[in-house]
Amino acid sequence: MSQREYHIVVLGSGGVGKSCLTAQFVQNVWIESYDPTIEDSYRKHIDVDGRHVILEILDTAGTEQFTAMRELYMKTGQGFLLVFSITSMTSLYELAELREQIRRIKEDDNVPLVLVGNKSDLEEDRAVPRPRAFKISQDWGNVPYYETSARRRANVDEVFTDLCRQIMLKDQRAYPPNGPPRGIRGEGRVPRRERRRRHRRPVCTIL
Amino acid sequence: MTDLSSPQEEVDKHASALVAPLNIQKSPKRSRSKERSHTRQSSSRGAPSIRSQSLSQSQPSPPLTPRTSRDSLPEQQPVQPVFHNYLRAFYHFHPSSTVSSSTDESSITVPINQGDVILVHSVHPNGWADGTLLASGARGWLPTNYCEAYDHPTIRNLLNALTHLWDLVRDGENGDLLVFTKQDYVRGMIAGVRYFLERTQCLTRDSPLVASHVGLRRMRKGLLGDLSALVKTAKKLQEILQANKSAVPVFEQLDELVLKSFKLVTRAVRFLDIWAQDSVALTNELGETSINRPPTPPSDSVDLPVQPQTTSNPNEDDSVATNDNTSIVAQPTAVGTYEELDSATSQPPRNLNRLSVAFSIPSESDSLQSPLLPPQPQGQAKRLSVTHRLSYTGKLQGGRKQNLASERLNAAHDAFLGFIGSFIGLHLQSRSSEELTTFTQQAVLACRQLLAVIEEVWERDSRRSDQLEQARDTMYVRLTDLVQATKDMFSTSDAALGEEVVMPDSGKQLVSAATSCVRSAGDCVAKARFVIERTGDFEFESVGLGLSDTIFEQISRPTQEEVEPTEPAKQVEPTLETDKPLPAPPTTARQPPPPLVISESKPLPQVPLPSPVENQRVSLQPTQSAIVESPTAVSFRSSRSSLPPLNQLPTPHLPQPSPSDYSQSPASATQRFFGKAARADSVNASVADTSSTYRYSIIRGDTCSVISQASTRATTPDHSPAKKQSSQTLESSFGSSSELRSMASEDVAAVEEHLLEKTYAHELIYNKEGQISGGSLPALVEQLTTHEATPDAMFVTAFYLTFRLFTTPVELAQCLIERFDYIGDSQSVGVPVRLRVYNVFKGWLESHWLGQSDSSALGIILTFATGKLRAALPAAGKRLAELTAKVTEVRAGALVPRLVSSLGKTGVSNTHFSPTDSNVPNPIIAKSQMNALKASKDGKAQCSILDFDPLELARQFTIIESRLFCSIQPEELLASEWTKKKTNKAINVRAMSTLSTDLANLVADTILHLEDAKKRAIVIKQWVKISVKCLELHNYDSLMAIICSLNSSMVLRLKRTWELVSAKTKARLEELKTITDVGRNYAVLRQRLQNHVAPCIPFVGIYLTDLTFVDVGNGTTRQLPGETGRESVSVINFDKHMKTAKIIGQLQSFQVPYRLAAIPEMQEWMESQIQRVRSSDQSNVQSYYRRSLLLEPREPPASVRASPSDADMASQHLSAESRTNSKDRFEFLNFSFSSTNTVKDR
Repeated sequence: MSQREYHIVVLGSGGVGKSCLTAQFVQNVWIESYDPTIEDSYRKHIDVDGRHVILEILDTAGTEQFTAMRELYMKTGQGFLLVFSITSMTSLYELAELREQIRRIKEDDNVPLVLVGNKSDLEEDRAVPRPRAFKISQDWGNVPYYETSARRRANVDEVFTDLCRQIMLKDQRAYPPNGPPRGIRGEGRVPRRERRRRHRRPVCTIL
Repeated sequence: MTDLSSPQEEVDKHASALVAPLNIQKSPKRSRSKERSHTRQSSSRGAPSIRSQSLSQSQPSPPLTPRTSRDSLPEQQPVQPVFHNYLRAFYHFHPSSTVSSSTDESSITVPINQGDVILVHSVHPNGWADGTLLASGARGWLPTNYCEAYDHPTIRNLLNALTHLWDLVRDGENGDLLVFTKQDYVRGMIAGVRYFLERTQCLTRDSPLVASHVGLRRMRKGLLGDLSALVKTAKKLQEILQANKSAVPVFEQLDELVLKSFKLVTRAVRFLDIWAQDSVALTNELGETSINRPPTPPSDSVDLPVQPQTTSNPNEDDSVATNDNTSIVAQPTAVGTYEELDSATSQPPRNLNRLSVAFSIPSESDSLQSPLLPPQPQGQAKRLSVTHRLSYTGKLQGGRKQNLASERLNAAHDAFLGFIGSFIGLHLQSRSSEELTTFTQQAVLACRQLLAVIEEVWERDSRRSDQLEQARDTMYVRLTDLVQATKDMFSTSDAALGEEVVMPDSGKQLVSAATSCVRSAGDCVAKARFVIERTGDFEFESVGLGLSDTIFEQISRPTQEEVEPTEPAKQVEPTLETDKPLPAPPTTARQPPPPLVISESKPLPQVPLPSPVENQRVSLQPTQSAIVESPTAVSFRSSRSSLPPLNQLPTPHLPQPSPSDYSQSPASATQRFFGKAARADSVNASVADTSSTYRYSIIRGDTCSVISQASTRATTPDHSPAKKQSSQTLESSFGSSSELRSMASEDVAAVEEHLLEKTYAHELIYNKEGQISGGSLPALVEQLTTHEATPDAMFVTAFYLTFRLFTTPVELAQCLIERFDYIGDSQSVGVPVRLRVYNVFKGWLESHWLGQSDSSALGIILTFATGKLRAALPAAGKRLAELTAKVTEVRAGALVPRLVSSLGKTGVSNTHFSPTDSNVPNPIIAKSQMNALKASKDGKAQCSILDFDPLELARQFTIIESRLFCSIQPEELLASEWTKKKTNKAINVRAMSTLSTDLANLVADTILHLEDAKKRAIVIKQWVKISVKCLELHNYDSLMAIICSLNSSMVLRLKRTWELVSAKTKARLEELKTITDVGRNYAVLRQRLQNHVAPCIPFVGIYLTDLTFVDVGNGTTRQLPGETGRESVSVINFDKHMKTAKIIGQLQSFQVPYRLAAIPEMQEWMESQIQRVRSSDQSNVQSYYRRSLLLEPREPPASVRASPSDADMASQHLSAESRTNSKDRFEFLNFSFSSTNTVKDR
């Protein structure tokens, strides 16, 4: 099967550490010096449910104030990471607008999304209660909610994998493979089960 | 005093050494290897045995040695302890022929003389080493049992620097000359010399030791002279490289460079000899009871295990013990012999007792890797092939190197990573278990290969590094896990479905297993590297050194038998000796060498045992005079005194031993060797000839210095009665030599000052491009204020720009002042450096001063300016004081406009112009248009963008934008300053983004406020035209904004409107879209901006994102590459700051005003329009979208969301909007958008 390339856009207001999240995900552990100016800086090969995919991540970090650009970024994305900081309630509220914009641009209510509460290592500064964030994620149509710590590299890969899995599922539904091998269907079931499981998982596992 | 043994005695002793028996302890090794073979059977059983077989083929053969008594030959222990980069000969070795040949290959042995220091490139298992004599530059094989390790803390830094230099030169010969365009590499040598003199307490001319000791004083001067010559050569090389001349002079200079360094080190070695001998006596004379003995060597040796023959004089004994220990460790092959000599038999101790202190001062007792191991563990070491020096620079060329363990390690690791990568990548993709099996097998295979290499390294290491063993075992476990995970996957898939389907969960498990495998492999490799560094690199399989495989087989068989537990040890040697084909040297000789006369034997020559000192020891009182009476001094002095004319010769030639030498010499044993000195002449010539095939001939091109080198060497051989002034005479030999005389005394003085510099150069890290990638603050400051060259502009700019990120202004000021202090006030070094310190302060205050953060340092700077600086440099002090005053006045910012930074600005500085320039294009504006603008300003009429020429509109907007862009200060771009909401330091960056957003909104507004689709289409066309003009003007920021807006959902969804837009316009728009594509990390845009000529307004967002990611993606510190066994130190990760500065520099390179004539009226109108859009609360995306919906409601089938209620809402909004809008329009026409600085964040 050919390699699929998926575009993921990371959104969130400034200072929530989304660039850190992306850098952690994209960067190899053994790279000593990270140069973000080259073409491959934001590409990563990963495996999701037995499929090799290439993720191209568009992180708008640093350009949050170029609000007009947002649409341009959003257009390219197939899946979105909406990142806020658990230490800032505003950063969570600001995501609602972004989500609306995404839905509008994509003209789709079921755009693959993941809600990410970053800086989970700063538990003592927590301003967003976990149930609150979880409630919002459910209101958004059972969007998976994760709490991550980019600094400690906690849940970083999981977030991207989950999003990727959603995109793949959507992809499959939109273009059902002709003459699907038996395995595919089986595989299709598994992620969905998993996904449901994941919804609750952050709440209990992040601790 | 001079009661030395007679020549005859000497010979006898020597003979007795020849028959020294040797015990080879085979059993421990055998048992050990057996034991090992039983462990870890599960994972890598097969590998070691195969490896050992292939390994054994890899031995290049050193030359045969002339020998007479074959049966008495002591057998060599197959031990391989620590690899030493430097050896020092303690016996003469003059083979009857330097070239031996069997086939076409030939081998060269270099004659060595007592005291010669040798840079070792590789060591053959039989004990021959491929080395280069520092004294002559000759390279060839030499017997290691004639030498001992030369490694002492005092001189170690210098020796390491030399090794590094050698490696660099070798790379340079392969065409990598970049490093020589800077002189950084010489600094290592300078630092080495400095350290050396510091340790010997001879750093300053006034030190008591130097003052009181004529010899040391002269040696010191000579040393500095050599250093000066070296620095000069480096400069010359730099000039040649910069002049881009042909390769020939470059290579000559490289040769020269190495020669000069060798000379320098040779002299340092002599210096140490003299110092070791005489400093004791001297300190006694000086009545300094604090230092009884030379500080370093003996005190180190005290810690050593004391050898059996401890007798009367404690001093003497210590040194003997030291000597023995060192030789044991240093000379793997000779260990057995010495052991016998020293402990088992009543052999007289070698005559080098005192000499050896100087010669083979043991390495620090604290470093456990160093020699001091009992012979037993060494005996267990597997030693199968040639050991190489691990190159620092590691750029290897030629097939020969491929077999080196380090290379193997790298290759295996790479292969492993590659396989595991594709394993991780592909095992999930291809679901067939068959394929998966294949990949798993490949991955496991690769892993095993890596483990095999590591196994090999471990086995070679006599001390069996625990860490490596641990890492390796961890890796075995990980690999097993991986295999298990794969197995699990198959079983589950088989059991559950009976299909060849891989379950994702087990896949995940597999990936994590593979990942941990990768991690442990990395760990393993790092540890193995460490071991290789310590024990020396070695070759794995055949090839190399130009030997045919058959020879290898022949040679290798016996060697391998050594490992075979069943094989009696005795059989090893005979097999070796009957070996017919002669071993080859690394290169071929140019002229056919004379056929080798001697026997089939290949072992090392036995160690001669000249020990004139034994008698001396007996007869001498254990007084200071005995100490002074060292054989080294004797030998050095003798040649001096016996050849007085040499001192007067302007160009000394290789001295032939005169009969008087012999008569004076008490050691007849040495005579035997020395008798060959005449021959050494020709020997040298032939070696030099051959070594030119290394492109490394020292002799070529500089006869004079070669001869003087040779004379240096020739002074070592013979012995004669010692006198008190011995070392002084020796000194005079150096001091009087022609090259020293020719050296201008000021050079010496200059170098001396240079040496006295305190330096932090060792705290810098360079990357592969030779740029500084890390360093401590003092080291970076030092780099900023070097005296020999103007500091790299890029570095300076990066430093100024970013220093607040890694230090505080106060710290920087203090550090600079400290630099000012420690450099001193000498004319040649101190003054230039102090001026640079002043310049750094000046540059800081003048153009990089940030009132807010830097004012804390102002007090320190002022005190410095009026105090120390004024005292040293009155004018500078005054100026700096003035500057501090000015800075206080102008708190707001820099004194000098910093629009143009030096970074990347060189080529564009001439593009500044005055608006009156003739090249400025005429504005395209008609009188009527002008009038319309004026009318609109007065509120009498309205203008539309359709009224004006798109080019002129683009121009005027570009001018507005350029004004903002050019005022962006570099500080605004640091540490994500622009994203911080509370501070507003990044005024201009924020203004840029606001302007960009405003423009996009203006585009949307102009389109969406029109009810008529036709009109909308016309406006769209106009905007496309404007954006095309923006592109022509290289205004990418405006281009982005316009395209964004045209591309936005609210505009794009207006299907009816777009139907009315011409195909031509659409095509144009498509082109522009590809340029502004954000995909592949803005690949298209980046490509365009690459080497773009200013003026240009790039899309600032790219830089902001890049800067953000450089900041979060790179650590703030990095580790100094730790010296072996030491704790690594964290230093500033300057690479990160360089990257930041580079990005900012790129942005700055575009900060050039446009050559365009402004039309104030039009700009005013545009700004008023922008202001209008901004001020209306509808200027958010949602309201535009609603308007868009209202203009062209959703078609029912297209969307489920276009409910009537939505449309209602939208219409309500619209009515409200249109009211306010029309009102806005009139009100805001009067508003003038005056200054960019007034742009506030919304």
